[in-house]
Amino acid sequence: MVNIQSEKERIESWKKARKAELYINPLPVRIWHWLNALGFIILILSGTQLRYPNLFNVMSFETAVRTHNWVAFAVIANYCVWLGFYLFSDRITVYHPELNPKKFFDKAFAQMRYYGYGIFRGESSPHKVRPYDKFNPMQSITYQIVMLLVVPAQFFTGLLMWDVKRFESWIAFLGGIEVIGTVHVLIYIFFLAFTSVHAYMGALGRSPATHFREMFTGYEEEH
Amino acid sequence: MMARTAVGNPALSMRVLLPALSVICCMIFSGVLYAQPQADVETEPAVKKAQDAIAQPAAVEQAAEAVDAELEAILKKNTRCLRCHTKDKSKTLENGEELSLKIHGDDYTSSAHGEIACVSCHEAIGNRRHPSKKTNITIASKRDYSLEMNQSCRQCHDKKFTQYDGSIHASLVAQGSDNAPLCTDCHSAHAVERMRDFRAETGYPCKKCHENIYTAYSASVHGSARSTGNVIRDEHILAPICSDCHNSHGVAAVEIGDTLRSQCFGCHENVPLLHSQWLPNAGKHLDIVSCAVCHAPFAKHRFDLHFYDNEAQTPVGNQEGHEAFQQKLKLMEEEEGGIDPLEVWKLIEETTKDSPSSISLRGRLEVSSGIWAHQIAPKSFAVRTCDSCHLPGHRQRMGVTVSVPQAGGTVRKFDTGGVDLTSVGTDDSTSKFFGVQSIKSKLLDIMALLAFIAGIAIPVGHYTLGQMIKEKVVMGEE
Repeated sequence: MVNIQSEKERIESWKKARKAELYINPLPVRIWHWLNALGFIILILSGTQLRYPNLFNVMSFETAVRTHNWVAFAVIANYCVWLGFYLFSDRITVYHPELNPKKFFDKAFAQMRYYGYGIFRGESSPHKVRPYDKFNPMQSITYQIVMLLVVPAQFFTGLLMWDVKRFESWIAFLGGIEVIGTVHVLIYIFFLAFTSVHAYMGALGRSPATHFREMFTGYEEEH
Repeated sequence: MMARTAVGNPALSMRVLLPALSVICCMIFSGVLYAQPQADVETEPAVKKAQDAIAQPAAVEQAAEAVDAELEAILKKNTRCLRCHTKDKSKTLENGEELSLKIHGDDYTSSAHGEIACVSCHEAIGNRRHPSKKTNITIASKRDYSLEMNQSCRQCHDKKFTQYDGSIHASLVAQGSDNAPLCTDCHSAHAVERMRDFRAETGYPCKKCHENIYTAYSASVHGSARSTGNVIRDEHILAPICSDCHNSHGVAAVEIGDTLRSQCFGCHENVPLLHSQWLPNAGKHLDIVSCAVCHAPFAKHRFDLHFYDNEAQTPVGNQEGHEAFQQKLKLMEEEEGGIDPLEVWKLIEETTKDSPSSISLRGRLEVSSGIWAHQIAPKSFAVRTCDSCHLPGHRQRMGVTVSVPQAGGTVRKFDTGGVDLTSVGTDDSTSKFFGVQSIKSKLLDIMALLAFIAGIAIPVGHYTLGQMIKEKVVMGEE
């Protein structure tokens, strides 16, 4: 026999818990995030094949080039979704860095201590996630550099190499194709490590799936 | 009754004026037609007089008589020469060769020069100056005589001769080659024929020296189209023969720069568009990959490097301003038995360090021999797979040459013995032939490996650290 009372209590407690969740990631951000994640994985894999075909060879060279080009343009278009959303939304505050150095270092140190020790002892994160203050100080400054400098640089260098002849004068102005190619490869190297570490940190929620689920629903538990 | 004039009557005026206009047009057209020089052939004096006469109808009859008389005089003189020179006579030259003095009279009289006096070319042998045993002329060799006589062609064919002067053939002659062709090697000495009368598909005269290349050409899409009479694209454009790409008199090597590409694009003008529809980075590919690399599908490839003076916009070679470079290059080759592009690169830096001109190393992917370059296959056989060049190991299988243009348009190729173009050291020098994987550098490879390891090690390390701390906490609690 079903215990109706306990079932009602469970629903009520779920509703309370639901209310305690905050809407952190609006739909455009979630769409951008997952498409970007998929795009980055494909770009890293096809890029690895292009650069190291003797180590990683899962498709023909032509397929790798075409995939890399098309997905890159899709990721650029997707970036515009992200940029457009934040430029025309008051949520851009999530990327505002802490400008007070003392506060920044205090918070950053507390955050590092948390990830290096506190998290394993069940402590809660020193940074409280809020819709307009989503990132901890380290995330804020990292993502700002990544999204406004590193990613556009990768797009730009990739675009120049997509049609070397067409952008010949730009390439010459910037120091030649070796410079452009090397910058593109250096950023690829950065993302090779970044993507993996980012995915791992995504699994450091209350349960390994917590943050992933939150990135799909947009809601995060208030804590 | 009013007279019906042509002006007053439109129907009449059309009937009268139209034929009149037609006649006037025909006359003007005929005049223009006759006034046009016939192709490039430089007209012989007698014929020119006749043409002049045609241009002035009043003097036609008089001129014709003059021409006939002049021609008759020439033929008389020639007959006098041929009286002896149709016999089996020969002259022993200084080197022991026998120079035949026999002329096949019919061959000469029916040749393009048939109406020209023998002494027009053999100026040194006038009627009164004919060599005899007393005034014996010494000739070192047949080649020497041909070289001497070669200059007589310039008298009438100055334009063609100037083109020849700038050719790779003339350059080889100047360098002392005994095999490089003179005018008579292609046109023959006495049975002179206009080249346009030849059946080009027979390969004559180029085949005489370039038989392997001609064999490759004749099996190619161009050669077979030409020999079967097929036309390319439309009824007015025939498949190319040797002279269409290499020129007939200003014969040029098509190895450095954009010459060859320009020749191909001259007929295949939609190539950039067609390639851009499927080939990534089509513009750059067309710049640095020779057409034959893909269109001669079985050809072996090589990287051909050359140094380019960006100020003068010419390849660095044995031309004015680069003498020091060329001398040192020769020394380097003599001392080391080969040439290393990296050392040449250093040499260029040394020789130009006080000069404002900047020099870069340019390269092209070429087929490994001229024979392959002529074996162009039908379009359906062309290589369309990237893997054939971009798979690992392709570059290692290729030879690398350094081309240095010589005076006169020849190109000297130095074999490098297979320099590793993917090393860090060549990064600086790959600016103009960059391709995917070109900027291989061990430093970047190590960084990529470290990043890959970090991507695994950081999560694994952090997780392990967490487990250790948790265990400690549990043990502490216990």
